[in-house]
This record gives sequence, C-alpha cells and structure tokens, in this order.
Amino acid sequence: MMRTSARMRQLQGVGLVLITTWLFCLPFVSTTTELRQHTQIIISVLAVLGVNIATGYGGMISLGHGVFVGVGAFATGYFVDEMSLPWLLAISMGIVTASLSGALVGIPALRIKGIHLALLTLCMAIVFQPLSKRFPAFTGGVSGKAIEARFEAPIWLGDSRMASAVYRYVFCILVVLFALGLTWNLVNSRAGRAMRALRDNDTAAAIYGINLVRTRVITFSISAGLAGLAGALQVVLVPYVSQDNYSVQESLVVYATAVIGGLGSIWGSVLGVVARTGFGALGERLSGVDGFGLVSEFFELLDEQAFVFGVGLIALTFVFPRGLAGIGTKNKQQTGS
Amino acid sequence: MTWNFDILPDFVFNGLSLGAIYGTVALSLVLIFKATTLINFATGELAMIGAFMVYVLHMEQGLWLWLSILIAMIISAGLGALIERTLTRPFDPADHLPVVLITLGLFLIFNALAGDIWNYQVRLLSNPFGKFPSWVPGLGGDRFVMVLGSRLKYQSIGIWLTLALALFLLGLILNRTKMGLAFRAVSSNVESARLVGVHTGRTLGFGWAIASAFGTLGAVLVAPQLGGVNPNMMATILIYALAGAALGGLDSLGGAVIGGILIGLIQAVLVMWLGVVVFGQAYMSILQLAAAFVLILIVLLFRPSGLFGSRRVERV
Repeated sequence: MMRTSARMRQLQGVGLVLITTWLFCLPFVSTTTELRQHTQIIISVLAVLGVNIATGYGGMISLGHGVFVGVGAFATGYFVDEMSLPWLLAISMGIVTASLSGALVGIPALRIKGIHLALLTLCMAIVFQPLSKRFPAFTGGVSGKAIEARFEAPIWLGDSRMASAVYRYVFCILVVLFALGLTWNLVNSRAGRAMRALRDNDTAAAIYGINLVRTRVITFSISAGLAGLAGALQVVLVPYVSQDNYSVQESLVVYATAVIGGLGSIWGSVLGVVARTGFGALGERLSGVDGFGLVSEFFELLDEQAFVFGVGLIALTFVFPRGLAGIGTKNKQQTGS
Repeated sequence: MTWNFDILPDFVFNGLSLGAIYGTVALSLVLIFKATTLINFATGELAMIGAFMVYVLHMEQGLWLWLSILIAMIISAGLGALIERTLTRPFDPADHLPVVLITLGLFLIFNALAGDIWNYQVRLLSNPFGKFPSWVPGLGGDRFVMVLGSRLKYQSIGIWLTLALALFLLGLILNRTKMGLAFRAVSSNVESARLVGVHTGRTLGFGWAIASAFGTLGAVLVAPQLGGVNPNMMATILIYALAGAALGGLDSLGGAVIGGILIGLIQAVLVMWLGVVVFGQAYMSILQLAAAFVLILIVLLFRPSGLFGSRRVERV
C-alpha cells in the first residue's frame, strides 16, 4: 500500500488550488480554439483514469484503451446523428457501448494475465484502426465523418461561439469531476478493495469469497466505460469522428500517461496528463530554438509530440519508477527483496 | 471466382514465404522473451529502423545490397545491445511494468524519429530476390520457376534460403559457442546461471543483439512485399509475428519459426478461401488481421504455452 506523508498531502492541496484557479481563469483569457484544446486535455484524464482502474487497481495491463475511446466516440456520434438521440442520452449510450466492449475484453482477461494480456490488448489496438475503416456507417471510413448535431449553449447564454465554447468547457469539467469523484468512491468501497485484493493475489482473494469472474469483468467494463466517456466528450467538443485519432500510438500514450502519473492513485492520472501536456509544451518551445547548427536539427525533432513523450517516458521511468503520484510515498510492503 | 484447386500451390508458396518472414520477426521476439520473460514491444520499430538503414546505405549511398543488409544487421545488433545495457538492465526483470514502459517509449521514439527523417511516404527498397541471378542455370533473369503448374517466385526461394542460413548460424552460435551456452543457461534459469559464474547482463545484451539483427533481416525481406519501407510498415507484421510466436510458444525458438510459417499458411489459405471466394478482395487485409488477432486470443486462452512452449506452474 502507498502511504502519503503529511508533507505530500500539503503539496497535493497546493496543486489542487493551483489547478482550480487555472481552470477558473482559463475561459477569461483564452480564445475559443485554445479553450477547446484545453478541454480536450482535460477530458483525456478520463481515458487515463480508465487505464488506471484496469491496470492500477485491477492489475490487468491494457495497452488498448484507445480502442474504447474510439468505440465511445463512434457510438456517441452514431446515436446522436443517425438515431437523433438527445446529447445526454447519446453520451450515456456511448459509455454503455464502450463498457460492453470492455466486458468482452474482460472475459479473456480472466485467464490471460500479465505480459500476455499486454500483448493481446496491444494487438487489439493495432487491429482497431484498419477495422474501423471497414465500417463506414459508424466511423465514416478512411476520411471520417462530420456529426451534424451540435452541442450548443442554451439560448439564454447567448449564441456567440465563445458562449458555446465556455458551455462545453464547463460541461466537460463537471463531467470529469463527477467521474473522478465516482471513481474515488468506487476504489475506496468494498468493490474497490475486492479489485485490489484480486490484483495482489487472485487465488487468496478467491479463497476469501471474492467472485473473480464478476469483479474482473466489471473492473474492465468500468475502465472501458471511462475511456468511452472520454471519446463521447471528444464528439461533444468537435463534432467529427475519424479512425485517424485512434492509432496504436494513441493507445500507448494513454497507457504510458497512466503509468508515469502513478498507478493505483486517482490523483496520479491527473498528474500524468499534466506531465504529458508539459512535455508537449516543452517540445514546442524547444523546437523553436535555432542557430545551433546540427543541434537545431535535433531540436526540430521535438516538434514530434510522440518523440518528446517517448523520451520523457523513459526518463520518468528511471527517475520515478512508481509514477509521479509515488513521489514522497513510502512503500510499506517493501521489506527489501 | 469460385473455389479452384489449381491456384492452391500459388497461395501455399506465397504463404510459406510470408510465413518465413513472420518466423524471422517472431524469432526476434522470442529470443528476448526466452531470456527475460519480457516482450519487446519496440521489436517492430527497431526492425523498421534497420530497414531504413539498408535504404540509406543501398538506395542513397549506392552500396551493394547484401553488404548494406549485413552492415544494417550489425548496427541493429549494436543498437539492441546498447538498449539492453542502458535502458533495461537497471530494472528488476521480475517487474514487468517499467520495462514494458521503456519498450513502449522506444516504440514511440523510433516511430516519430523515422517519420521525421523520412516522412510517412512509402519508399522503394530494391528486392534482394527480384530475379534469378545470371549464374543460376536455365533460370538466370527469370522471376519465377513453374512448379506444380504454379509460379514459384525466386523471391520465395530466396527468403527460404536466407531464413535457413540464418537459422543454421543461430544454431551454431547457440550450440557451439561459449556465449550461446551462456545464453541457454540464462534462459533456462537466471539464478543458477549467475551462481555458476555466467555474466547474465552481458548474455542478455547478446540476446538483444541477435534479436535486433533478426528483426532487421525480417523487415528487409518483407519490404518488397509492402511496396517499400515506411515508418508504419511493421505494425501489421508485428501482429502476425506475435501470432506466430504465441502459436509456437513464446519461449520456444523453433516454435517461433514453425508458428510464423503456420501463420503465413493460414493467412494464404484464408485469403484464398474467404478473400477470393466469400467476401471479395476489398476485405482481405482486415480479414487477415482479424484472423491473426482471433488466433492470438484463442491460443492465449486455451494453450498459453503454445504448441512447443514450456508450461508454467503457478504457485501461490
């Protein structure tokens, strides 16, 4: 178990205040595009949280959570557009669809464990993109498709683009906060303890009367549902779905963000996304550096988000093997090995 | 088009040559898994970088193709050993998470690196086995020879011979050299190997080196079939190689080769039956991918040790 020291709690408090202030000030200082980009970063916390539930709490490595984000986005787009459902219902249906597909993956995860499960979910992530090109009715095929329906602010907020952007921003933040709260409650409940017991030693957990099948499948479907919610909110933000957004690399980035943030800690998922965004910004800043001759060619590489993220990932794995949320925590179980 | 047995040898030849390539890449996975019980998720991207090295040396610098391949394999081997020494050795091999993360990071880095240097267009890489060389009596300059009423391409024969030679050399290294003996000792029991004085770290580095060289060889052989080299060329090949490795047993070297060849055969017959007869050409590539995925799923579910792998007993 991880135990947080008092000092770290204070630091977390400061971080929380900073993030809240930042979130509050953002709509006043940014353009609609910037606001949308920030909202996209915020909703990506949900997908990372999904991985955290499956891997951090459930002990099942999933390298394929981008798939569930994709399923959530495609399903939401389909329900809101082709079936003309209202947005909230369509989003819920998107979550349900992603959860069901998650349960489907959860069933083989009953037997397949560890590195084998990582292998299987990676293959799932590789297959998803070409597969989704083949179902244009849902995904728009190779080029993707625009969603006709718009998630607009109600009339009384005005009909400017800014009003709608802020409305979506606030909506997404509220949904993310709600999901974070719900997950917090879940992992600290009886069900959450069952998950962790299963992660640490499944045979022992079974002896204590935990239903292995039910807990594993539910864990995976909840985690997929969170990723699906992230996909649904992507459609809310940008009414367009395309297989382009769900490549293998995306799935790997989601998993890696969860791990560098810290598995087994809700706070870690937020930290992971903050770190990932930081890498992106750093890369952008450094890629502007000129006049070092050969070195500047290297700096141009930093434009590639994936490259910077890959380097940062390896560096963080060395420096903080327990993730960012693990800084300052003591590992009570570790009695030297 | 209806079911037609006349074209069967065509598909079988094709399947066997693709399968040989999958086997080569699968070997690259298994060499590392056998020694460390880790899957190197960057295998495909490392191999892709190797193929690009050949592209630079041969197409841009004009070096002889086989010399370029040899140089690329040696550089890849060095790169593999370097990665093992600097990035994976510091971590406890019993803990999967950090090393999985490192190889994923490498995956992203190499992919972005190649995309940045060579962009994402497919670049032509000449085929090492385009036409029979002039010294082959009766066939010099031909692309294929008729066998069983079907075209047996020089490309297929060349791939088989290359794989056979590579396997023979691998066998020699593993069974006749001190390093090979050390490798076998480490992969059967790390602790005991260390106790009898085997330098485990160096041995694992050696494993990574051979594995990377094999990956590069596979990527070079597969490039002509994909129309050339590009940064995402190994994504689907990796699936087939993983399927082959899983089918053969993740810790069996011979199993990897046989598994890879079986995957190639299954794929060929599937293409013939489903692709040509039932669904039509357009769905072929996705059907093959889906089939490989389902096969991996089935093998991992019902026989995680594969056909030739060793079973593991789980203790509480």
